[in-house]
Amino acid sequence: MEKLRERAAAILADGTVSLVIGYEEGTKRPRPLFCHDGESARKLIFDSRCFHNLAVYLTKKELVGNGRFAVTATISTLRSIMQLYVENQLSEDKLLILTVDLSGTLREFVTFDEISAYVEQFELKRSEREQAILTRIEGMTREERWNFWQEEMSHCFKCYACRSACPLCYCTKCVVEVNRPQWINPWPAPVANMEWHINRAMHMVGRCTACGACGDACPVGIPIDLITRKMMEDMAPEFGYIPGLPVKKGNALSTWKLDDREQFIR
Amino acid sequence: MSKIGVFICHCGENISATVDVERVAREIGGMEGVAHAIDYKYMCSDPGQTFIKEAVKKYDLDGVVVGACSPRMHEPTFRRACAEAGLNPYLCEMANLREHCSWVHEKGEETTEKAIDLVKMLVEKVKKNNPLESIKVPVTKRALVIGGGIAGIQASLDIANTGHKVILIERDPSIGGHMSQLSETFPTLDCSQCILTPRMVEVAQHPNIKLYTYAELESLEGFIGNFTAKIRLKAKSVNYSTCTGCGACIQKCPVKKIPSEFNAGLGTRTAIYVPFPQAVPNKPVIDRVNCNYYKRGACKICEKTCQVGSIEWDKEDEIISEEVGAVVLATGFDVKGTDFFPEYGYGKYKDVLTGLQFERLASASGPTFGEIRRPSDGAIPKKIVFIACAGSRDPAKGIPYCSKICCMYTAKHAMLYQHKVHDGESTVFYMDIRAGGKNYEEFVRRAIEEDTVNYVRGRVARVYEKNGKLIVKGVDTLLGGEQVEIEADMVVLATAGVANCGSEQLAQKLHVSYDPYHFFAEAHPKLKPVETNTAGIFLAGACQAPKDIPETVGMASGAAVKVAALFSNNELVREPIIAVVNRLAPPLYSTCVGCFMCETACPYNAIEHEEIKARDGSLIRTIARVNSGLCQGCGTCVAFCRSKSIDIQGYTNEQVYAEVMSLLND
Repeated sequence: MEKLRERAAAILADGTVSLVIGYEEGTKRPRPLFCHDGESARKLIFDSRCFHNLAVYLTKKELVGNGRFAVTATISTLRSIMQLYVENQLSEDKLLILTVDLSGTLREFVTFDEISAYVEQFELKRSEREQAILTRIEGMTREERWNFWQEEMSHCFKCYACRSACPLCYCTKCVVEVNRPQWINPWPAPVANMEWHINRAMHMVGRCTACGACGDACPVGIPIDLITRKMMEDMAPEFGYIPGLPVKKGNALSTWKLDDREQFIR
Repeated sequence: MSKIGVFICHCGENISATVDVERVAREIGGMEGVAHAIDYKYMCSDPGQTFIKEAVKKYDLDGVVVGACSPRMHEPTFRRACAEAGLNPYLCEMANLREHCSWVHEKGEETTEKAIDLVKMLVEKVKKNNPLESIKVPVTKRALVIGGGIAGIQASLDIANTGHKVILIERDPSIGGHMSQLSETFPTLDCSQCILTPRMVEVAQHPNIKLYTYAELESLEGFIGNFTAKIRLKAKSVNYSTCTGCGACIQKCPVKKIPSEFNAGLGTRTAIYVPFPQAVPNKPVIDRVNCNYYKRGACKICEKTCQVGSIEWDKEDEIISEEVGAVVLATGFDVKGTDFFPEYGYGKYKDVLTGLQFERLASASGPTFGEIRRPSDGAIPKKIVFIACAGSRDPAKGIPYCSKICCMYTAKHAMLYQHKVHDGESTVFYMDIRAGGKNYEEFVRRAIEEDTVNYVRGRVARVYEKNGKLIVKGVDTLLGGEQVEIEADMVVLATAGVANCGSEQLAQKLHVSYDPYHFFAEAHPKLKPVETNTAGIFLAGACQAPKDIPETVGMASGAAVKVAALFSNNELVREPIIAVVNRLAPPLYSTCVGCFMCETACPYNAIEHEEIKARDGSLIRTIARVNSGLCQGCGTCVAFCRSKSIDIQGYTNEQVYAEVMSLLND
């Protein structure tokens, strides 16, 4: 961790980057930190409690500016970064990755190929919580599932924290804000809530890297991250494609390849 | 508020017989924003159009809905009428009250209500319509003809003679196609090659025709007037600019036992070969699959023989790019082999032939120099049986259609046989004799009456070999279903004409539609027989359906005229129904975030990257831009765009949403 701080301070000092995005100690848990100088870089931490997906800040021009910036990245963050790259939102010349691997060694990545090679070593597994809820949902009938989600979504009051926390929700104008025509009714109500959540899920198919940030952000604890996660799990074997893993341009749903298995069609 | 004019057509009685058109006009007239609504017997007639023009002026209409037939039929008519009255033509829409309503429903209340709904949707849409300008695109006045058979030859010559450049590509080493394989042609019995080869030479020598043999289309991109064709020039392994065509290499080639494609498998050829003596170009290619050098790395006898050093061992396929404005598809057909018929021996009897093989036997340039001899032992067959409709008109075999040419060529075959073998006996088994065509019926009668061909109306159930004879078991339905058994020396099957191999893939490359049998589909069965559904791509000959030479030549000339008509324009006008990415005032510039999912989804490669730059040249954002020339308005990108930044002009999200909501908000 000391090396991380030293390195962050060094690249800030020699002008390699103008900003390092990382974590610092918060009141109850770590919180994001934006370091513009060596002084603030001394507050950097990086441990297992740091789970915020910092990739969400990388597409915010007002935060990262036009210069080069560094980010201390977890595996989840790296997957999001890869997907952002696939979607043409990041470029190598603007980004520097700092991370600490399992052996505690500081690692630095410049190219997306390096990130991809590193991320590929880690399997995308369900956590205990995810496994527990998904097993329960998978055991339900269609009607039970629908009722389960209707009940869950009825708590939603459309704060859009899920959207804010998601690194892949980077549109300057979200579909909920499109009002000609008004596809999704803006108020929180059973149908309007479903309109939003179904739309969100559709927009995430083939893109969601299962970082879980949306679920973590939900103030009423709706496990919405599991919808997109499950869709990703269902899609991966059909298309041989896991978002955020190998460097592949395009999207499972927008591309057609001869080796797509497409066993669901028939 | 909108001032929409609504015009309901009776279409004679086509619509008014089942739909209460007066009620439709009355109820729509009461809709918000509708300034004028009438019904009339024939809206498309001159007085009908005058009603529209006058109403546009009188009520100062800002939108028109015509409830009539399919827009495919009369949308251009009504849009032109609006334009003549000073209203932007894209503010005129049609509700299809005929195909979508009156023709498919019984008379009744509900039918009328559906008609009202159909018009109502369009009224709501037109309220949201924007005036659009047609797109003008330039025309490349050069045609690509695919296939060098008689269809492609005729089309190429006709186009070239109008003064336009033609690129003719042929898959085989020589042009000529199936017609060059034929012996004589019905109904005049003139020698096929004698009438064809002058045309082939004309193609090769025409200053406006660029001929690529041994070449295939790799891809076709673009649109009418502006196609880019990538053509694969397969490696011939012989340098044509130095080769003199002396043929010494062919004589010396040690691989001599390759079944000759030109002789339909009845003769053999070498690995370095010219398909037939009159080939154009008359220069050899090396068949790399069978050549000793390519198979085992040794031989090169042809190289030693060649006095001008034309053999190019390491030559690779070359892909060239050509800009063309129109494409004529003339890829022809194929015939089913004898192996398709289990009841006729699965192709294992040597003396059961296809009609095409018989053509080669009867041809003076064929493997027997025009003598009819059995492939098995070389004997002259004394009894011969022709079986018409082998595969054709047989739904059980998956070929329910009539192959059209077989009745005539079977009569010709029998006639040729009788002319060559005077003591021979020929029998034709047929289902019906279809001899529609000038002098065709007379020709068949001649075969029966003068050349004493025995015509038996009935099917052949089985053919099997016994003591060197082929036992043909059939039935004579005109004799009350009596069994007929003939001990024949040779059996000729008039096998079904089928789509050429690779036609499906080619159709997909060109985005033209094809029928269930993989023949290319014409745009309209009667009125647009040479057009495809893809503008700028035309059809000639048997690639559309089996047809004989006169019909093929007529169709090829028809396609050529279509191409020439297209080339008579310096620019084309096309509908502005294309996708556009929205542009907004700074600092947003556009709601597009540049994820370019549209780019990977677009089947026409129409999405480009547009860089938005500040005054100092620094890059602000990269967003998507639609190439209006390439976009076909399919809307796939619209469905993929998460931020709804792309819209199809004329079918915007807002317009379609208004249509749908008009039905839901009752």
